[in-house]
Amino acid sequence: MAVPSEAPGDLPEAAVRRFAEGAFTSGLTVPDFAACLQMGLEPVGFTQGYCVMQWQFYGASPFGLGGFGGQGTIRGYSETFNCPHGMVSGEHRAWGQNYEQSWVQDAWSTGFTTALDRMVEEAAAGGAHGIVGVVDSSAPLADMGVVEFRVQGTAVRVLDGEPPADGRPWSTYLAGQRLTKLVEAGYAPVSIAASVASVRQWANCVTQYLTEGVTSMYGGVTQGAEILQTVSAQSAARRIATERVRRQLGGDSLHGAALSTVQRNLGEGDAEIECVLRGNRVRRFKPFDPMPVARPTVRLS
Amino acid sequence: MSDPPEQTPSDLPEGASKRLAELEHGLFTSDLSVNEFLLIKEVGFHPVGFVMGSSIYHTGIQTRKWGQSQELTKLTEAMYNARELAMTRMEEEALELGADGVVGVRLDVNYYEWGKDAAEFIAVGTAVKAENGVSHRNRLGKPFTSDLSGQDFWTLMQTGHIPQGLVMGTCVFHIAHRGLGATLGSAGQNVELPNFTQALYEARELAMTRMQDEANELGASGIVGVRLEEKSHQWGSHTIEFLSLGTAVAKTSDEVTLPRPTTIISLDN
Repeated sequence: MAVPSEAPGDLPEAAVRRFAEGAFTSGLTVPDFAACLQMGLEPVGFTQGYCVMQWQFYGASPFGLGGFGGQGTIRGYSETFNCPHGMVSGEHRAWGQNYEQSWVQDAWSTGFTTALDRMVEEAAAGGAHGIVGVVDSSAPLADMGVVEFRVQGTAVRVLDGEPPADGRPWSTYLAGQRLTKLVEAGYAPVSIAASVASVRQWANCVTQYLTEGVTSMYGGVTQGAEILQTVSAQSAARRIATERVRRQLGGDSLHGAALSTVQRNLGEGDAEIECVLRGNRVRRFKPFDPMPVARPTVRLS
Repeated sequence: MSDPPEQTPSDLPEGASKRLAELEHGLFTSDLSVNEFLLIKEVGFHPVGFVMGSSIYHTGIQTRKWGQSQELTKLTEAMYNARELAMTRMEEEALELGADGVVGVRLDVNYYEWGKDAAEFIAVGTAVKAENGVSHRNRLGKPFTSDLSGQDFWTLMQTGHIPQGLVMGTCVFHIAHRGLGATLGSAGQNVELPNFTQALYEARELAMTRMQDEANELGASGIVGVRLEEKSHQWGSHTIEFLSLGTAVAKTSDEVTLPRPTTIISLDN
């Protein structure tokens, strides 16, 4: 996978020009903005990073033929599901397979990481120490088989603070009260961490019947039963996403993780499962300091 | 960007003048919730009336090059001027009421069946006035505008900032179609398309820089609550408007009167 080694030359420049002019910009809500000021963080500017990727799904087939360009060699998780019925007919799905679509995962992480790096680069160019309230998304662009990855956040400077030792601003999805609580609990944000897992399910006959709920010629209407192949595909996707994020942590902890799973049904029991795990890589910087005991408060909101 | 046409309050519809005249006698209308109303009173403002402005604008079309990403400057200008007109008319209503500012401003675009390529741009908000008689108008002598809610307005005041104006910047951009050659050249690969990345990045930067220019004109120290919106309106998927919006604020004092936050373990979700 070709990872662009650096951002197109003039990308950060536009941002530097914007950062240099008078007013700061902040994408934070007012309560989060107020919480930032209270914590001694001063907004520098709204920062952004983007990466538009060509995006095509015709990668591999379970028969290992590879797609155009031959990028679809299966690596990682794969599992076969054989038919328990014996030879029935040519249309009978005697064989099914789950496998990890590593090329989708690689492309996703290239897009995401490139956009993130550009945002961080923009923040560094503006003299920021960190980025709070990060939001990321990816969406198809126009109708061209093109996907755009977006990472945006508000760059901040720590008042009377030192810039990060390695020159790379820290980043976090948190802002406002959540960030305040994190710091109060003795953790400092390091970076956002995210990964995707993509698993393709080619259904065998059992999965097909159970999913479609059709009347089969063996035993009448299908009974309610666990669909083992889908359970297996779903748990593999979650496990892969978790493992991929864990590899990014380098001994730090993950805080406020959120896992979202989308299953795209392709008919006949076939499906594609996409699992995205996002979280905040955090590091302890001071010993745990018990927080005051909470007491009930009436709140106007 | 050309300046919006100079308008005098005299061109307000008759109905509005009558309504506003009634409001001057102490009755007020507002779309504030009860909590917002209380918080606005708490920081020393009183709602004087619900104000609005609108503009029906023919946005037209502009020729685009099929294979080239470019800004559509005519459309950018149209989208900007139309919103500016709606905002200016809303400000005039507020001026008529002797307001210091307008809070909770919402900017909407509506399309109607009867007007092809025409859109109605509408701005609504609640005009407020300081109870102690001190003027809080901005550097241009106009009432400040802001899209902040009552809660946000209160919180912002406690941090020593005051809104100066709802600022915006826009950029209508055409995204190139990909030629057959380019598509085939990278077929089957999931790779970055730097030209597209750069075109979209440029478009968003233009919108943000324009917004920031407006803030600088108001002598603001910053812009809070920046939003970057993307919409294709009725132009088809390859033409996108990038709109950036936020409330420009000025620092009035270094004193932060916000009570020190207390950690609360909330019992609701």
